[in-house]
Amino acid sequence: MQWQTIFKKELTENWRNFKWIWVPIVFIIFAVMDPVTTYYLPIILESAGNMPDGASFDIPIPSVAEAMLMSFNELGVLGVLIAVVASMGIVSKEVKSGVYELILSKPVSFTNYITAKYTAMLSLLAFSLVISLLVGWYYVTVLYGELSITQLIVSTSFFIIYFMLILGIVMLFNSFFKSQGLVAFLSIITIIALNTISSIYSHVLTWSPALISDYIGLYFFSGELESEIWLSSAVAVALTVLCLAIAVTTLKNRALD
Amino acid sequence: MTLISVEQLTKTYQSTTVVDHITFSLEPGKCVALLGPNGAGKTTTLRMLAGFIKPTSGEIVFDEKRFTKDVRRYVGYLPQYPVFHNWMSGEEFLIYVGQLSHLSKKEAKEKANELLDLVNLIDAKKQRISKYSGGMKQRLGIAQALIHDPKLIILDEPVSSLDPIGRREVLNLIRELKKDATILFSTHILNDAEEVSEEILLLHKGKMIKQGAIDEVSETKDTTAIHLAFFEEPKFIEERLKEIDSVFKVNRQDDGFILTVHNVKAARNQLLDLIKHEEWELTKFEVATSSLEDIFMKAVTD
Repeated sequence: MQWQTIFKKELTENWRNFKWIWVPIVFIIFAVMDPVTTYYLPIILESAGNMPDGASFDIPIPSVAEAMLMSFNELGVLGVLIAVVASMGIVSKEVKSGVYELILSKPVSFTNYITAKYTAMLSLLAFSLVISLLVGWYYVTVLYGELSITQLIVSTSFFIIYFMLILGIVMLFNSFFKSQGLVAFLSIITIIALNTISSIYSHVLTWSPALISDYIGLYFFSGELESEIWLSSAVAVALTVLCLAIAVTTLKNRALD
Repeated sequence: MTLISVEQLTKTYQSTTVVDHITFSLEPGKCVALLGPNGAGKTTTLRMLAGFIKPTSGEIVFDEKRFTKDVRRYVGYLPQYPVFHNWMSGEEFLIYVGQLSHLSKKEAKEKANELLDLVNLIDAKKQRISKYSGGMKQRLGIAQALIHDPKLIILDEPVSSLDPIGRREVLNLIRELKKDATILFSTHILNDAEEVSEEILLLHKGKMIKQGAIDEVSETKDTTAIHLAFFEEPKFIEERLKEIDSVFKVNRQDDGFILTVHNVKAARNQLLDLIKHEEWELTKFEVATSSLEDIFMKAVTD
C-alpha cells in the first residue's frame, strides 16, 4: 500500500516534469541516428558537393546485425549517460531540498522508499529502451533487411538487466550524497571503471555484467546466446540487490544535517 | 498520566554534545514551549522525539509503555523549514502523506479536505504548492502534521519565519489545536511562548536549565525587582537603600534604581516609609515580576 503510494507519486512526478516524454525521445534519437546516417552516408557525401571529380569511395554497407548493434552501442554509452542524469536526483534532491525530512516524519519504511523509487525509474528506462529499440529495429529492417523480432526482444531484455545495475549504482550514490553532480560523477566513474576492467580482463571476468552488451553483439551475429550471458545477468541482478540493500541501510543510519 | 516521558536524553555528533542528558515529561492536552537561543539543541531534541533521529543515549517512553512500534505513527511533525513537492497541489500533497501514514485513499482524501478547511486553505487546494505564500506553506505544513491524528504534535519554530499576519494566523491555529492534542513547539521568541503555552522548557547549550508551568517559572518566588525613579536624585541614596534589610541588591540604571528584594511586602513598606520620611521626590515606583525574557537572559548568561 505504502509502496504503491510512493511508486505512483514517482510516476506522476516524472510525468509532470516531462521525463516520460524526453527520455524516450532522446533514446529514440540515439537508436535511430547511427543506422540511418550510415545508410545514407554515400548520398550525404555526394550532396555535400565538395568532393573532387572522379573521387569515389566504396563505403561498405553494414550487415543487418551490425546496423542493429549500432543502436545498442549508442544506447550503451549515451543512453547510460542519460539514465544517470535522469536519476541522479532521485533521492539526493529530496534530501537536499528538505522534503525528505517531512517524508521521514511519517511512518515510511526505508525499503519501500528506495525500492518504489527504483522501480518507478526502472519502468521509465525500460519503456524508453523498448520503444527506442523498436523504432531502431524498424529502420534497420527497412534499410538493411530482415531481422527477427525474437532476437530483438531477447537482446532488449538482457539490455534492460544491464540498465537495472546502472540504476542500482546511481541509487547507491544517491543514498550517500546530497549533491546531484557528485552522484552523477561517481556513478559514471564507477560504470566506466567497471567497463574498462571488464573489457581488459574479459577472458577472466566472463561473468561481468559490463560484458552483457558484448554478448548481445555476439548473439546478433551467431543467433545463439552465449551461456555466459546468463551468469553476467545473474551477477547484475545480485549486484543491484546489493546496491539497493546498502542504499537502504545508508539512509537508515544517515544523520540528518 | 503522562503522554511521553524523556529521560536523560542525549545526542552526540562526533565529539560535540548537542543534547545533554535532558529529562522531562509531557502531559496530554498541554501546550508546551521549548525555548532556547539558536543552537541550543531544540531541533535535535524535537527530531529525536519525532522518531527519526536515534538518541545516543537515554530513553523516550511513549504513553507509559516502551514503544516497540514506529513512534512516527503517533507523532505529527512540522520541520523548521517545511519543504513540499512543489509540483503537487496542496490537496495532492496531503493525500500523499496521508497514504504514507497508512490511510486508505478515501480516508486520506476526506482527512485532507477537513484539514484544508481547518487551516483555511480550502480555496487554494487545487493550486500548485509552488504558488503558495510563506504563511500558506506553514499552514499546509501544520495540516500535514495532523493528517494521521497524532497524539503529539511537534512544531519546530512554527512562527519564526513568518510576517506578523502569518504569525497571528498560526498562533490562532495552535490555540485551536490545543483543544484536543498535546503540542510541543520550539521557539526563540518568548512572546509566542507566553501567548499560547502553559508550560515551558528552557534549553541552553543542550542542557535543560528550567522547566515548569509558565506562571510558576516567571514568578520567581523569593526575589522580585522593584524599580524606583526620582525627580532629582537624593544624596547618599544608594547607601540608604542598602541599609534596608529586605533589599538584597541595588542596581543603578539610567532612569533610577532596580532593587532586588527578598520580601516584596516588607520591602515595599520599608521603602515607602523611608521615602516619605526623607521627602524624596518619587516619580516611579514599580514592582516588576520578572518576565520570561528576564528569566531567559538570566539563565542564559549565568
